Amino acid sequence: MSTGVTTLRRYERKRPWAHWVALCIVALMVYLSFTTAEWDFTSLTDPVARGRAMDRAWALFVSFTSPDLSGEWLDECLELTLQTLAAATLGTAVAVVLAFVLAMGASRAVMVGEEKSPRWLRWFPLRSPAAAFCSLCRLILDTLRAVPDFAWAVILVVVVGLGPLAGALALALNVTGILGKVYSEFWDNVDPKQYEQLRALGTGRLGTFFYGIRPLASRSVQSFTLMRAECAIRNAAVIGAVGGGGLGAEIMYQIGFGAWAKVSTLMLFTLALTFSADMAGNFIRRQLRSDPNHPRAHKSQGTLASLSRSYIGAGFAGLVVVWSVWFMGWGNSAGYEGSTVNFMKPATELLGVQGWKNLAFFERLLSPDLDMSAWGDDPVWSIDWNPFPSDEGAAGRYMYKLENTPIDMTARYGISDVFNGDAWSAWNEELSKWFVWRVIKSAASPLAMAVIGTLLGVLMAILLTYPHSIAFQLESSQFTGESPPLWLRGLRGLQLVLARLVGLVARGVPEVMWAFLFISFFAPGLLAGAIAIALHSCGVLVRVFSETVDNIPYRRFEQSFMGSRMTCFACAAAPVSARDWMTYGFFQFESNVRMGVVLGIIGVPGLGFFFTFQFEWFQYEKAATYLLVMIGLTVLIDRISRALKLSRVG
Amino acid sequence: MKRFILTLLAIASVIGVAACGGNNAATGGNTPGNTAAGTGGTGGEPAKKLDKLIISAIPDADADKLKAKFGDVAKYLEGKIGIPCEYMHVENYAASVAALATGKAHLVWFGGVTTVQADIQTKGMAEVVCCRDIDKKYTSYFIANVDSGIGEVKDLKELAEKAAGKKFAFGSKSSTSGHVMPRHFIVSQTGKSPEDIFGAANIGYTGSHDNTLRDVAAGTWHLGAMNYATYDKSSAELKAKAPIIYKTPKYVDYSFCAHKDIGAELIGKIREAFLSLKKGTPDGDKILGAFSAGSFETAEMSDWAGIKAIIDSGVDIGG
Repeated sequence: MSTGVTTLRRYERKRPWAHWVALCIVALMVYLSFTTAEWDFTSLTDPVARGRAMDRAWALFVSFTSPDLSGEWLDECLELTLQTLAAATLGTAVAVVLAFVLAMGASRAVMVGEEKSPRWLRWFPLRSPAAAFCSLCRLILDTLRAVPDFAWAVILVVVVGLGPLAGALALALNVTGILGKVYSEFWDNVDPKQYEQLRALGTGRLGTFFYGIRPLASRSVQSFTLMRAECAIRNAAVIGAVGGGGLGAEIMYQIGFGAWAKVSTLMLFTLALTFSADMAGNFIRRQLRSDPNHPRAHKSQGTLASLSRSYIGAGFAGLVVVWSVWFMGWGNSAGYEGSTVNFMKPATELLGVQGWKNLAFFERLLSPDLDMSAWGDDPVWSIDWNPFPSDEGAAGRYMYKLENTPIDMTARYGISDVFNGDAWSAWNEELSKWFVWRVIKSAASPLAMAVIGTLLGVLMAILLTYPHSIAFQLESSQFTGESPPLWLRGLRGLQLVLARLVGLVARGVPEVMWAFLFISFFAPGLLAGAIAIALHSCGVLVRVFSETVDNIPYRRFEQSFMGSRMTCFACAAAPVSARDWMTYGFFQFESNVRMGVVLGIIGVPGLGFFFTFQFEWFQYEKAATYLLVMIGLTVLIDRISRALKLSRVG
Repeated sequence: MKRFILTLLAIASVIGVAACGGNNAATGGNTPGNTAAGTGGTGGEPAKKLDKLIISAIPDADADKLKAKFGDVAKYLEGKIGIPCEYMHVENYAASVAALATGKAHLVWFGGVTTVQADIQTKGMAEVVCCRDIDKKYTSYFIANVDSGIGEVKDLKELAEKAAGKKFAFGSKSSTSGHVMPRHFIVSQTGKSPEDIFGAANIGYTGSHDNTLRDVAAGTWHLGAMNYATYDKSSAELKAKAPIIYKTPKYVDYSFCAHKDIGAELIGKIREAFLSLKKGTPDGDKILGAFSAGSFETAEMSDWAGIKAIIDSGVDIGG
């Protein structure tokens, strides 16, 4: 009897209420996204505006159909493509090493290890030196990815000078933040039961890490590293922002001058680069794949063949990195009339002292403007000299005027008015006198864009995954039992190619570029930004979504196949991969929040827009306040994803 | 496990190779940064010999044109001053100022605002080498979409009354003629900020003068402000769709600036090289033509005092 009760209790605890909470939270976020930020739908609802928008979009589309194919420009584009590839590979390679080390510090399972302290105490980072160090590493990672890459680039210019190296290092810092966070999350989310024998045998923290945690998470780590590397290669707009070249920066730049013929050529090269990067990524994945149950795993291979695969994969990656160093230093022709410029040379500045001393130029970034005078701590008085003193009021010839009226939250409404709507808007108005509050409010627009964009992107990606997956298009006869005629196979093949083409274009075109296109239709605003983010996310996600589907052994479909491939996809493939999809979706949300900040630069007012302005105008104190909010936002999202254990791939 | 360590080892060794390569290269030639920085603040002290003169410019025109234009300038200067010159193309206004201030670039082509920012950020160590003849009488145009119903206005006060609530576009946020001066004239003539007149949501930044003209002509924005040079040389079709409604008073704009640390002698040589460019000579025609200037002239930082006053009083775009 007693066992029966405990079983019931166990089921009781397992009742899936968390899903409902999650759904409610998502719904609430969508609601807030539409209410807190200003959305402008006139170009969709108003027929006149819609007509004009169509004309504009069509004109822009037409101007893309005639790329500039002159030999000179093609040479230039090829050089830019190679520069992008070299700088992005170099940046990512540096980032992988830095991220691995920092992530070891930032992972609780590695850095802190087993803890005897009660659960509630684990919320406090100062409970032990190791825990404090762990929090510090996490904060470093958060800062690295919260600061926009162009800001890193400008900061690095004073250390290593102008040139693509500064861009590549800026990219490296940013990617370090992204990779380090994800690595440490993967390691933390490995179930401790899987490596507790190691601990039981007395292995130290490093031993547990290298022989227990790391191998268990290695597939996820490898898959995510490749995904990020592909991302870095295709939209590294920061390369070239501070000298050198690079496709992304050049596209932005040419857009600025309306040179659409050149832009479309650049876009073709970007797509070619994206395609090659994806192919190379697939090649490395195939070589390093170790799962014998994978549907397309190499079966019955000799020892030599199966061993050499990993060396080929790693060797290929190493070769690309060697090539990028050579190209940056000695292989390019970026100089005047095609001479070689050694862009690696400034790296020596990193070893010297002078370059680092130059960082003092940005010292003011460390003292953010918190505008405490708004609270009345430091009243600002202005003195007006009044040549005609009236008989009443002004006693002398000088008038003292209090410039800033201190914020008084209880002036009109007291605490008892919490249920009064007017009180809230009055409080908001009063608080808006405070600069910091305005900064915090400016985070609404990137967040709103990211929420809507990610949700749309995930939905579109799920729909596109079906035609995008090899398992359901080319190899479905392996589990359906049918033997389709040649034309049907051809049709499915065509569907696959089309879906892959859509995915390739969607992710090959950078978000910023999509945003530009949609701005011509919707006019600058959140809608254009959100749709740009949705499309790009869809392209990125469909690749990893269909990869997870294709990784499912066909036996599992065989068991549940009931006559329709589509039903099988919805009822077997989707639920099996849902957990991974959620993880990737959340990663994408995180990076979309940062993208929302970046899109501010092209005229979607919000956090990024104001930060860029203050930063470029050398108003570093104010820029620092915006940075603080950006870092705060990143920390918040990071801690939530860690608490919910959202990152568990594979 | 082995695989991953192998990958890591491969990457680490590559980076090791890169670092060594860098070291070897460094023994050959001095890096530009070391030369200029150390002497900051002492002004008169004779500068160390410069091995390479780094030239840069704000990104205000087509990249290929800039590269060709400043490639020619670098080659010309190299012949005149006897030091190798190299042009570094940047795509960020702040980067060019930061580079000059920390000695990572030695001679930079700035706009009006960036000239003043360089002066402030270097604490007076930036010296104006020269400017074009046209830079002392620069002007901006206010343009309006032909369908917007806003005709020519006699001043911006009238514009503010006629065009309240319309969509207004500036160029790049850092641009002198596309943002700062138009904003200044709006504020000084109406006493109100553009955000107050048109509404904060109706103000936008297109990124460049060409964009402003194109977008106003297309009707994305009702009104815009841009520099006269870009407008004057654009197509008649665009001009017809986006006529001028107001011309601002004259002000100063672009300049070549150098950091005083490279030495008064070298700055003198560079200035002499620019001033000696004359129409009719091959070098002169090529460079002056690219800069659409008649000649280069001497100028003082004090010529930019008007813009400095505007920056000192704070440019507030809201937020």
